Amino acid sequence: MTEGQPGVSRWVEETTAFDRVQSVATALSTPASAAEVATEAAVAENTARAHLDRLVEMNVLRSTDRDGSTVYAPDPLHTRVQTLRDLLSAHDHDGLLALQAQLRERVEGWREEFGVDDPSTLRATATDTAAETRRRREAAAEWETTAHRLSVVTEAVENYETYTRDPVSAR
Amino acid sequence: MTSGWDAGVVSHRALRGIRRELDRHPAVVTAEGFPATLHSEVVAELSASTLDAAVTATEPTLTVRWFAGECPAAPPEFSFHYSDRHGDFGWHYAPNSHVDGRGHYQERLDGGSYTYTSHEFDSTEPTRVVWIVLSLVEDRLATWPD
Repeated sequence: MTEGQPGVSRWVEETTAFDRVQSVATALSTPASAAEVATEAAVAENTARAHLDRLVEMNVLRSTDRDGSTVYAPDPLHTRVQTLRDLLSAHDHDGLLALQAQLRERVEGWREEFGVDDPSTLRATATDTAAETRRRREAAAEWETTAHRLSVVTEAVENYETYTRDPVSAR
Repeated sequence: MTSGWDAGVVSHRALRGIRRELDRHPAVVTAEGFPATLHSEVVAELSASTLDAAVTATEPTLTVRWFAGECPAAPPEFSFHYSDRHGDFGWHYAPNSHVDGRGHYQERLDGGSYTYTSHEFDSTEPTRVVWIVLSLVEDRLATWPD
């Protein structure tokens, strides 16, 4: 466990081991072992493994074998459903359409400004100055996040009736 | 894009986790995605017992940005930046011409220029970094102008 830093000891005081394991595991960029998650989440390895396995059962995470040991990664479907739920709680159909239009406008803005069709092409474009290269890298990163967001918003718009059907009144 | 790697998805997951941890921290009043529901950054309003009243009166906020690298092997780029009416400071992890390496601290007071110093992060795991940086913010505010 690595609780030595003041911020981490505060984290341990204010949250449960399960909270920290879930937080670390659902934000992983690449698959990690129970030992790796334990180090980041400041919990014992056995504790991390037990919580990770429970999160796999709950379809929050997925596990796979890497060189003979188990590694864990966020279940992309779970994250997407959580995001859809947040969007549908915050917006009605008109609000989602407005958000979709706003996101599309941003993407179009980058397409026009840089004359490329996607963020990976933008990253690859050479420029004369370090500052401009950096600006393009930052725009590409924002574009990637926005494109993902747009895909989820579009799903919410297209399935609005189904996703907002009231389960209590359904027969 | 590397096969199976979507930097937008990874960034989005990181920002969701960051927002959740900010909400859990006692020094944070609210943490919102900004622009509304776009979540390209998270802005937290700071207050509560961990900051003294003089600092709270200066409308302190912490703005967090997080972008995954373009492939699994590429490091993320992120910043945790505090600001109030006196100035701003923050811990950043991105290439910067003023320092060697990615990790650095930058600060400016009363509209002056930024000063930069190198900073080594012990982790680039987004939810853990939230707590480490908020501890650093509280330490810095102990000697910040009222």
